[in-house]
Amino acid sequence: MLKLTNLAKYFGGVRAVDGLDMQINKGEIFGLIGPNGSGKSTTVNLICGVFPQTAGTIELDNVDLGRLAPHQRIEFGVSRTFQNIRLFGDLTVWQNLWVAWRDAPGHETSWLVNWFGSPADRRHEIQKLLEFSGLGDRADRPASSLSFGEQRRLELARAMASKPKLILLDEPAAGMNSEEVADLRNRILTMKNLGMTVLLVEHVMDLVMSVTDRITVLNFGKPIAEGTPLEIQNNEMVQEAYFGSAKNVEAGN
Amino acid sequence: MSLYVASTLTNVALISFLALSAYLVLVVGEVSFGQQAFFAIGAYVTATVTAIFGGHIILALFLSTIAGGLAALLLAALVIRLSGLYFAIASLCFAELLRLTLLRIRIPLEIDGRSTGMDGPEGFSNIRWIFENDFEVTDFLILTVVCLLALLLLLFYFERTTVMLRARLVGRDSLLAQSLGVRPDHYRMAFIGLSGMVAGFGGALFALFNTHIEPQMFGVMLGVHALAYTVIGGLGAPLGPLIGVGIDIGLLESIRALSEYRMIAFGGLVAVLLIIFPQGLLSPRAVNRLWGRIRRRDV
Ligand SMILES: Nc1ncnc2c1ncn2[C@@H]1O[C@H](COP(=O)(O)OP(=O)(O)OP(=O)(O)O)[C@@H](O)[C@H]1O
Ligand SMILES: [Mg+2]
Repeated sequence: MLKLTNLAKYFGGVRAVDGLDMQINKGEIFGLIGPNGSGKSTTVNLICGVFPQTAGTIELDNVDLGRLAPHQRIEFGVSRTFQNIRLFGDLTVWQNLWVAWRDAPGHETSWLVNWFGSPADRRHEIQKLLEFSGLGDRADRPASSLSFGEQRRLELARAMASKPKLILLDEPAAGMNSEEVADLRNRILTMKNLGMTVLLVEHVMDLVMSVTDRITVLNFGKPIAEGTPLEIQNNEMVQEAYFGSAKNVEAGN
Repeated sequence: MSLYVASTLTNVALISFLALSAYLVLVVGEVSFGQQAFFAIGAYVTATVTAIFGGHIILALFLSTIAGGLAALLLAALVIRLSGLYFAIASLCFAELLRLTLLRIRIPLEIDGRSTGMDGPEGFSNIRWIFENDFEVTDFLILTVVCLLALLLLLFYFERTTVMLRARLVGRDSLLAQSLGVRPDHYRMAFIGLSGMVAGFGGALFALFNTHIEPQMFGVMLGVHALAYTVIGGLGAPLGPLIGVGIDIGLLESIRALSEYRMIAFGGLVAVLLIIFPQGLLSPRAVNRLWGRIRRRDV
């Protein structure tokens, strides 16, 4: 479904992403992990078109995404959350979802209704999305007044409001307690059941290992391993990249 | 109502159009120091249509609105790739360029034994519409206020639509807007165009009311004021800029003793207000708090 070929992004001398090949199949939950600064967020930003790639291609179902403007990519079903929560704090929870809403392909309402109206079926579906996210009683609160965990849930709901085929989650579990992470795990699995393909960038290993089908490990912008969670856990290079220094210290002792 | 009060109120209403036009630009996250240009264009178009061609006021207002909108779209198209400071500077240059051009154009005609039409620094005199139609100052006040209320109603309605929500999104966080499939360029163009229309319309009424206009009336300070009104009034609702206008003209004008120090008083007031209300009096947050319950399910 999503195919990255030899993808690269340099910021001046910094090679944030450096020759990444990755293929995500339809319906998969795909993990992208790696140490801090290894280029995970940059990869997500490249897929969304926040900045152009230095080299390589990004294809989604044989469409060359890399050539499209960021706002066009969402029409091809790409949606995301941000590592640092990015909400429209002045607006209510409801309005945050409303602006992100897109009709399912083939069921578009006319632009007039879209812009000036307030169709009942859309209201109904947003209400369902709110309940799915456990924000049912927060609809009329300004987004900035929500707790951290609620804001994360709102981000996730907003990403789903555009009915994406592919959803990119950039560290959705950051700062969550174990109960919230368990909650998140269920939501991600539900998204998979709803037919979405998920790219999960995450540091919380329990979550990644228990929810993903396959994983790619990045280090200094390069992929150093790919495989199932089990294979990755037992991969020496990965352990080196993550725990290398710790092990050396241990060995030294 | 005394003549003085009526004409002050008319000025408040006229300047409100300019303030609202600056507001529309600020909504999409741009700062314009050049709204007075579209105000001037509206004024000169209406002056020409009524005083030289004897055109109907409806036609004059219509053409002024269109001309203001087109000029704004032209500016937007030229500089839409610039943003932030660069857009602010470009808008300022545009307005000054227009003013300097107006100072150069001298094509006065003799109508009814009086010089009429653009005459450089001497301005455009003999805009006789209100005399020919027996408009008293209070009549014109009513006309202006009715137009302003109509515009406000339109904006209040607009405020509740998805277009406006998305425009605000562009203004607040255009990266986020893009990731939600909103195209910032389009919204910026559209809103800058709309702002030109509003300013053009206001300028048209301004010309009719003043019966004489000259390029110096449309200097930088006019644009700065228009912007300041929204900044102190707040970006949350169209009432914000109007409160700003009210504070400046209503309050400061009434304290006549201040007249010599008017600009200093206004500058000081802006500074103090911004320290207390950094987001303006009617900030988006304050507005949402006030209206949150009412807005509820409609968008
Ligand atoms: N816009 C930018 N301009 C310049 N350098 C950048 C930019 N974005 C990222 N970088 C650099 O690229 C490298 C990769 O950053 P990236 O954010 O992709 O890492 P990450 O894997 O997401 O890390 P983390 O786990 O901390 O989120 C870092 O060295 C970072 O400093
Ligand atoms: Mg990151």
